Parts: sequence; structure tokens; C-alpha cells
Amino acid sequence: MRSLLLALAVVVVLTLISLLIGAGDLSLSALLSPQDGDRSAQILVVSRIPRTVALVLAGMAMAVAGLLMQMLTQNRFVEPSTAGTVESASLGLLVVTLFAPDMPVFGKMLVATGFALAGTALFLRILRLVPLRSVLTVPLVGIMLGGIISAVTTFFAYRFDLMQSLNAWTTGDFSGVLRGRYELLWVTFALTLLAYLAADRLTLAGMGRDFATNLGLHCRSIVSFGLVIVSMVTATVVVTVGMMPFLGLIVPNVASMLVGDNMRRALPWVAVMGAGLVLVCDVAGRVVYYPYEVPIGTIMGIVGSALFLVLLLKGRTRLA
Amino acid sequence: MTVSARFPRRMAALIAGTLALGFLTVGAHAQDLTIQHSKGVTSVPAKPKKVLAFDLASLDTLNALGVEVAGVPTARFPEYLAKYGSDKYQKVGTLFEPDYEAVNAAEPDLIIVGGRSSARYADLAKIAPTVDLTVDPKDVMGSVKRNVQLLGRIFDRQAEADARLAKLETSMADLRQETAKAGKGLLVLTTGGKMSAYGPGSRFGILHGEFGVVPAVEGLATTNHGQAVTAEFILKTNPDWLFVIDRDVVVGRDGGAAKKVLENELVAQTTAWKKGQVVFLDPVNWYLTGGGITALQASADQIAKAVAKK
Repeated sequence: MRSLLLALAVVVVLTLISLLIGAGDLSLSALLSPQDGDRSAQILVVSRIPRTVALVLAGMAMAVAGLLMQMLTQNRFVEPSTAGTVESASLGLLVVTLFAPDMPVFGKMLVATGFALAGTALFLRILRLVPLRSVLTVPLVGIMLGGIISAVTTFFAYRFDLMQSLNAWTTGDFSGVLRGRYELLWVTFALTLLAYLAADRLTLAGMGRDFATNLGLHCRSIVSFGLVIVSMVTATVVVTVGMMPFLGLIVPNVASMLVGDNMRRALPWVAVMGAGLVLVCDVAGRVVYYPYEVPIGTIMGIVGSALFLVLLLKGRTRLA
Repeated sequence: MTVSARFPRRMAALIAGTLALGFLTVGAHAQDLTIQHSKGVTSVPAKPKKVLAFDLASLDTLNALGVEVAGVPTARFPEYLAKYGSDKYQKVGTLFEPDYEAVNAAEPDLIIVGGRSSARYADLAKIAPTVDLTVDPKDVMGSVKRNVQLLGRIFDRQAEADARLAKLETSMADLRQETAKAGKGLLVLTTGGKMSAYGPGSRFGILHGEFGVVPAVEGLATTNHGQAVTAEFILKTNPDWLFVIDRDVVVGRDGGAAKKVLENELVAQTTAWKKGQVVFLDPVNWYLTGGGITALQASADQIAKAVAKK
């Protein structure tokens, strides 16, 4: 408990750093004694706070979604981007853009959620048909499925001159976040809370179908419940800020090393570390090329793959 | 090794030899012009009859010079080139992907590539004489001048070409006098809700270089997709003029998307926004036909009109 508070303190510090860094001029002294013509307060309210809140929400939600997926598939290598979920959500977004470009963001999110659900359900269905001789088969199946779905998406995006837009959705990027443009992410906060409330059941489901059923759990409905949460979270994040690779893979694995597989205990850790990692990567993206930005998707790809390699090499027995 | 295995190779050599001879005789034609372009030197027949234009800027210029082309790619044409959308003009693929079968069957006398189609030069050059008229972003006016005069020479329309160029240069000289005292400007392209800025030397650098708008920021990257920026960046830069290219319009999606991206509390604080000095550039002229004589004239006129009002 004490170490969790410590981690929380670190995230709070990161939040403050995130509030103070950006292209615009913002100084603490100006905030404390406002003068005419100074825009610090406005920048803080319109740009910095929304961006930081968006980072925390998206980071928490994506990490929790990763944990959920790993529970449901009983596999440590699965997360929304290795199970076709992200690709399906992107396909959904493309379909909306082609047929109803003026649809409000919430509608776009619902359509993307529908696609994400269908894609993830298809993934789970395939898993039941394929003989799983190795733990690596599961993410491989997911990556292949994702590859097929994104090939379809890319084809239509190419045909309709939407490649650049597709790229804008799939690369995580918070540079467009301003007041009034991220609020949808609060949906993910509600979903994260829901996941926490159902944590015990999800833990049981994570122990396997037979085991969970023996303990009197309606396995099917709890799996569907987890699936809906994962799909909605993924769709919301893709629609508002794009995708962040590796996040849902690394954070739950680190949390599991620290506190084990009890989801109710692991979930706060996952949420805090997810927010922290996203904050670090986004601040780095804002600093390395100041006053311009490197999208967080790129930074996360670099940091994430390095961390993932470390995890693989150090904790091989645990992961497998 | 049996004879049959070797046979195809010999046959191929024979065919290649015959083809080479064929090209040599074509090359020796008396009326041919030797054209120097960005991919090398090509021998082009004077006043070629059947022309395929894969470059919209060149199509624009040819259209302005009154030259008819036979085939064009399937593309979104600006209004002044709308007629090329009709079936009267043979469709020979897209800007990025020529339909080689169709090109071959058309037996063109000349193929023009440039910009997006420039990468297909080598393949098209095998079919017919091909010239690459890509505009060099580091020397926009220089290459536009060269291209317009070149097309004038090939199609014997030198007088028209010179007249058009002279008019454009006068417009630009006038414009430069106005922009020099108008204040600093920033060019932003929006796509899919994101913004990128382009400065001098970039693909839209002509705004500063030739049209004389004083850049609001120095040192923007000149990469093809510009420099990703935020609303905070625009507020900090605080340009007197904001020039906007809405890319989503070019691909026919989300009209007014640029406005939605820019209309926020931070950009509203800039001098450009407060004084109403935001110019939504014609995205087709800048994004698709940039480098064509009509497009350039229209761009110069649009900015001159906007700046003159103040």
C-alpha cells in the first residue's frame, strides 16, 4: 500500500511537469500574480489541463484494457493491439468516415466499438478452434488477424485517398487535445471503474473456464462483460487520440511481477503505472524537438519495445 | 543444358536487339527535340499528337496554352480542368499508379510525369518518350518557368507561354510589394484534425519565396508532410496572417474541417484571427496543381486580393 502511494506521488509530479511543458509561454509566477495581456491562465485552462487529463485517462484505460485481455485469454502477451481490437476499431472509424463523415464523435465511437467487439469476438472464436501448443500462438494469431483487418482498412483508405487520415488516427498523438476536444475520454474512466467493481469475477475467469464454472461463475457472461469494456475503451481512445502500442502489454506484466495476478490488487497499480508511462512518453515527445512535437505513438513505440525486450529477457519464466 | 532451355534467352536477346534498333531509328528522326528534364535527356517529336499527362500541373499549363491531350489519369480535377473528367479523354490509371496496359495501347507520342507520378518515370519511359516536369521546391519559379517554356517549345506555343509567364511575373512583383509591408505570415495545412506548418523551402515555400510573405517562424522542417504543430505553437508564433490549406477538401471529405480545427480559444487570440487576416487558400491549386500556370496565377491573385483589402 505504501509503495502504491509512492507510485501515485510520482505520477502527481509527472502531472505537474506535463502541465508546465508545452509550446506556449506559461510561467508559474504569471499564474500566481496575473497581469494584463498574459495568457498563462488561459493556456493552462484551454490547453494544458485538458491535455494532461486526457493523458491520464487514456493511459489508465489502455493499461487496464490490456490487463483485462490478458485475464480473459489467460495469456500474458495479449493486449488490444495484438488481438485485432485496435485494427477493427480503425476499420470502424474508416467506415464511418466514408459513409457518414458528419456523424458526431460519440456516434463514431459507438460504430468503432461495434467493430472492435466483432473483431475481438472473432479473435476469441479463432482461439477456440486453433490448437494452442505454445503461449506465443495466441498473440501470433491476434497479430495475424490484426494484419488481415488492417490490410482491408489500408486498401479502402488508399482507394479513397484517406491514407493520411488513417495514419492520423492510428498514431497516438495528443497534440490536438484542447478544451472541448477530449471529453469523450471520461467514458473510459467510467469503464475502468466498472472493471474494478468486477475485478474478483474477472480474476476467477482468468483462472480458466472449468475452474471458474466449478466455483459457480457464469463464465460466458463475465467474458462478454470484459470484452465490451476492452472494445469500448479501445474505440474511445482510437477515436479521440489514436493508438499507443505496447502500453497494455508492458504495464500489466510489470504489475503482475510486483503484486501478482489478483486483479483487484493489481488494477490500481496498472492504472497508476499506465498513466505514468503515458505522461513520461508525452512529455518526452514535447521536449525532444521543442517547440514542435513528436507524436506519443512514436515515442511509446521506442520506449515500449525496449521495455518489452527487457521484460522478455529478465522474466522469461514468469511471462511464459 | 539443352537447346530448349537456352532458347528463350536467345530469343529475348534478339527481340531486345530489334527493339534497340527501332528506338535508334526513331531517335534519328529529323524533327525531334532534345529535352533536358529532371530525370535526364529525352528525344521528343516536335508537336507530338498523342500526349498523356500524368502531372496535373503540366496538364494545367497545357490547357492554358491551348494544347489538347489525349489521356489523363483518373483524378479530382479543379474546376478549370473539369473537362478532363469526361470520357472524351482516355483514362490511363491514377496519379500514383499508371495503367500500363492502357498507356501501352494508347501508343502515345509523349508522356508527361511530375510530382506524384514522378516515381513511375522509369516504367513509362520504356513505353514512349517521357519527360519528368517535377517542380523543384528549392527553385519553384525557376522550374515553373523552365517547364512552361519547355511545353511552349514542344508544342510550338512559345508566344503564349511567354505572355502567360510575363503576366504571372508582373502579378508576383506587385504582390511582393504588398506582402513586404503586410506583416508576418504562417502557412498551416490541416488534415484529419491535425495541423502541420510549412515554411520557406518546403513544398509550399513559394508563399514566402516568390509571393514575398515574411515568414513568422524560421527553421521549420521542409519534409513533405511539414512540421506537426499545436494551437499553442500558433498562439506563441502569433502571425499577422494565417494561410490555411484544408487537405481534407482535396480528397473530398469534411468540408470546413480546417475551420473546425482552427476555431479554438487559443488561435482566436492571434493577431491574424483577431484582424480577420486568415486566408483559406484554394487547396486544389496548392495541393494538386501547384506549379501549373493557371494555379499559380490564381494563387497570386487570391493572396493579392486578400492583402490589398487591408
